[in-house]
Amino acid sequence: MRPILLSGHERALTQVKFSKEGDLIFSVSKDHIPCAWYAANGERFGAYKGHIGALWTVDVDPTTTLLATGGADNTLRLWEVQTGREIKQWEFSTSIRRCEFSEDGRLLLGVTEKRTGQLSNIVVYNIDPTPGASQPDEPILRIVVDELPRVTVAGFSYLSKYIITGHENGSVAQWDGKTGELLHEVYSHDDGMSVTDLQWSADRTYFLTASKDKTAKLHDTNTLEVLKTYVADTPLNSAAITPEPTNYVILGGGQAAMDVTTTSARQGKFEARFYHKIFEEEVGRVRGHFGPLNYVAVSPDGKCYCSGGEDGYVRVHHFDPPYFDFKFEVEREKERAGY
Amino acid sequence: MSRSFEAFSQLYLMLICFEKALVIVCGHKTFIGAAIADFLISSEPWDIKFVSTYNDRQPTRIQDNTIHDTESSTTRTKTRATMAAAVQNNLGRTDWAEDDEPDLATAMPAPQTSKNKDGSETIVTFFINEEGKKVKRTQRIRRTVIKKKENPRVAERRAWSKIGPEAGKPPGPRSETTTLGENIVFRPTMGYKSGQAQETTPQEDKKADALKKMQIKCRICSGDHFTTKCPFKDTMAPEGEAAGPPADLEDGVAGDTAGQLGTGGGGYVPPHLRKGGAGAGERMGGKYERDDLATLRVTNVSEIAEEQDLRGIFERYGRVTRVFLAKDRETGRAKGFAFVSFGDRTDAANACEMADGFGLHHLILKVEFAKKST
Repeated sequence: MRPILLSGHERALTQVKFSKEGDLIFSVSKDHIPCAWYAANGERFGAYKGHIGALWTVDVDPTTTLLATGGADNTLRLWEVQTGREIKQWEFSTSIRRCEFSEDGRLLLGVTEKRTGQLSNIVVYNIDPTPGASQPDEPILRIVVDELPRVTVAGFSYLSKYIITGHENGSVAQWDGKTGELLHEVYSHDDGMSVTDLQWSADRTYFLTASKDKTAKLHDTNTLEVLKTYVADTPLNSAAITPEPTNYVILGGGQAAMDVTTTSARQGKFEARFYHKIFEEEVGRVRGHFGPLNYVAVSPDGKCYCSGGEDGYVRVHHFDPPYFDFKFEVEREKERAGY
Repeated sequence: MSRSFEAFSQLYLMLICFEKALVIVCGHKTFIGAAIADFLISSEPWDIKFVSTYNDRQPTRIQDNTIHDTESSTTRTKTRATMAAAVQNNLGRTDWAEDDEPDLATAMPAPQTSKNKDGSETIVTFFINEEGKKVKRTQRIRRTVIKKKENPRVAERRAWSKIGPEAGKPPGPRSETTTLGENIVFRPTMGYKSGQAQETTPQEDKKADALKKMQIKCRICSGDHFTTKCPFKDTMAPEGEAAGPPADLEDGVAGDTAGQLGTGGGGYVPPHLRKGGAGAGERMGGKYERDDLATLRVTNVSEIAEEQDLRGIFERYGRVTRVFLAKDRETGRAKGFAFVSFGDRTDAANACEMADGFGLHHLILKVEFAKKST
């Protein structure tokens, strides 16, 4: 497979997202401009100008009409994807670390950073997806996270029933999606090792967390039970689950950006690692970036994935047939047995 | 430009009729517009037809001022909307591009289409090129229909006009923002070991190979480890000496065999004394047991000579056991001398006499008995 390199950003990528059909890629980086790209040929569709700080997060609603971005200029903004028009801007006292639409696109979640005198907040807005509709100023839900350490990642579960958060100390917590009540908390990653990413399975009944403790863990949404553990040899920044019928998880990471100059690209382990989702076994790697991978995203149709790196590139990979044909021996045996 | 447009539009029209997927009866632009809009609105995923054509290049000059020109072109239409637009161009004749078409074009013979046996079509068209010359164009076209389903929302998004810094830029990726990377072979494998293949440098590979090829054989137990690492090194003597009784029992004899240092016990045994000192030991120079008495030294050999040439010359005097032609390591050309060994010394003597002064290539060979190597 020949990767497509998207070089529209001038600084390190922080997040990349696919649209629901997998035809558009949205990317944000520490330069202030989110970009939209066609996944098929890497053509840039456009950019959304307005932010005045580094961007940490991006998400697109299921109909690909609204784009949410948040960053270090303490704003969470909503854009119209087609026209690039800024629809709404919410201001906070600290920067936005993570934003995510719910499954139906009716809710938007934002996580603000914990800083001196300010606690991490999780805010949820009601979103009206009809074009031209005005968006609310006040959140319908605000969770002030005071008993738990800083929130790094968050997302909506299936049917927006729960909000799941990942924390700086490696714990994962479950909150009620309606009331904001803390329901459950587990310490799944090593203490003090920040949870760096949280991505959902297609039906959002389980999710994958990546952590600086060099592992990624598959959690059950209801119980927060750790179902699978994928062990890597480098701190992880991101982990994605490939949709059916393939059973892989893709982990991205690499040494911390500050140590990069002291090591060669080969030692830096800047590769996307593929693990089998069920057998927890590594099946391959994809090289290319010359900096750590900050985010890995898989197209919802499973036909391609892209990674955003500290090197400022987004690399889009369309999978070749061997990727789809690969099966473990036990899987083949099962097929032969006629199940 | 308009010409090619017309040609393709014809193709699409025919294609549509053939496929019976969509028949558009049209006379006016607005009507077609409505038809397109209809399709865009419909939420069902629809079939997209790709039409690819190829032409055989067969340029031949015919008349004085008539150039037989062939063009190779491949077109792909992506959406039905563009196909319909093309159809409209053809039938309505209302397109602006048709307006500035010179009148001469209409005076040309009408395009001829004929079907070939292999399923392809030949289209012959005449037109006037930029230099004012009459050009006949023969296109051989094979039509392949590739059906592909696409989500209407995706198709709609692809038609969006670009925004922000990309506004007004032509469709297609721009080289400033989009480049193609090197091909990566990604093949999931069971039991993938991190740091295999791509992590080893060529030098490391070589070292590993060399280690693999080196055969280690223990002299005591013939296992694949060094003799010093042998688990039996304290209890057993090296192979071949094992027959000898242990050193402490042979104290009395030791004086007699003072010359054979360390035959008993674990002392060092020089290689030529091993195996009871019977064998002559290995010699340098490999397996050739060189009989210098039957070897000739040939000098003044031309640079381009090969061992085969020399073998050909000397074989007629007797059985040649070895031909060695010294060659330059870098250029691979002969250095100018060679050694030829015979199985029998009398043959060698005969050859020495006969072949001396023999002309090989442009030089005269000088043949003499090789001096005994020291």
